[in-house]
Amino acid sequence: MNNINSVPCDQIMQTLFLYIDHELPSEQEYQTYQFHFLECSDCHEVMVHESAALAFMQSLLRDTCNEQAPEDLLTRIREQTATLAGQNQVGYFSSSTTITNISFDGTTSIQVTQEFTHEIRHEVTEGE
Amino acid sequence: MSVALAVMDTSNSEVAVVDRATESSAAKKSRFERDALQYTHQLYAAALRYTKDQHDAQDLVQDTYAKAFVAFHQFEPGTNLKAWLYRILTTTFINTYRKDQRRPQISDGELEDWQIFDAASHTSDQGRSAEDVALDGIADLDVRAALAAMPEDFRIAVYLADVEGFSYKEIAEIVGVPAGTVMSRLHRGRKLLRVALADYAKERGFNRGASHE
Repeated sequence: MNNINSVPCDQIMQTLFLYIDHELPSEQEYQTYQFHFLECSDCHEVMVHESAALAFMQSLLRDTCNEQAPEDLLTRIREQTATLAGQNQVGYFSSSTTITNISFDGTTSIQVTQEFTHEIRHEVTEGE
Repeated sequence: MSVALAVMDTSNSEVAVVDRATESSAAKKSRFERDALQYTHQLYAAALRYTKDQHDAQDLVQDTYAKAFVAFHQFEPGTNLKAWLYRILTTTFINTYRKDQRRPQISDGELEDWQIFDAASHTSDQGRSAEDVALDGIADLDVRAALAAMPEDFRIAVYLADVEGFSYKEIAEIVGVPAGTVMSRLHRGRKLLRVALADYAKERGFNRGASHE
């Protein structure tokens, strides 16, 4: 492997990851790579192999990391959302919420005070 | 008439203009439920990788949604909601859940070095092909273990890029580090993971071979 079209193989290989990840800074650089691959079969082969290896690892990871959130977590989040929206009428309790110091990126701590008051339901049972 | 209505409906559907300053609590809630809650499973899977614990993962996701709801009026509709939620998830994890843990062994400064790319450039040797082929026999359990064994910063970078498909720039915003740092962590992380997976695969192959004798 030597200099081909004034772009050395070393240079191509050094940033091959950016090419594969579609993270090269300009369209012109993609053209440089593509031209190099046309001229240099060694680099082309490495690129094809590396692309396939990465794609394989990604599919392996995606197939593995697909856990479903437990049902009670979904329920808790819905209840929490209703509570925060101040309209949790569900169940036998009312709640009040105090929130301070919120920032959008989550860096600032959030203080949530929840007061649950049990409401006794007077259910009239008929007859006997 | 019904045709005209249908057309109007579709035009209203996606990025509807929301006046977030005057939006009612109920409207905010239904918008949040419609747009944000669909990512619960994805965020949970990520939280499992981050925390390595089912209970912590559930707490982390619940905290994330509490913060997200409270800050939801600050989210710009039409921009990347998934990335926004991941940012809250990741920041919350970094600030809260790993407080008692020590920072990963390798400092960022060391990783900024572009020389890292050198290491991966010598990949045209023959041994590697066998390694990749061997990965076919790998189990979910092994993949999870290999991920769990990675230094945290690398694990997060690899997860966000290779499972969620975020760009370097998006990951930089989610994690709160420069894009160059993301690049380094991702590159190094992938290398570590590949080696670890190959080791698991070899072990599996060994065990299978042994059990047949």
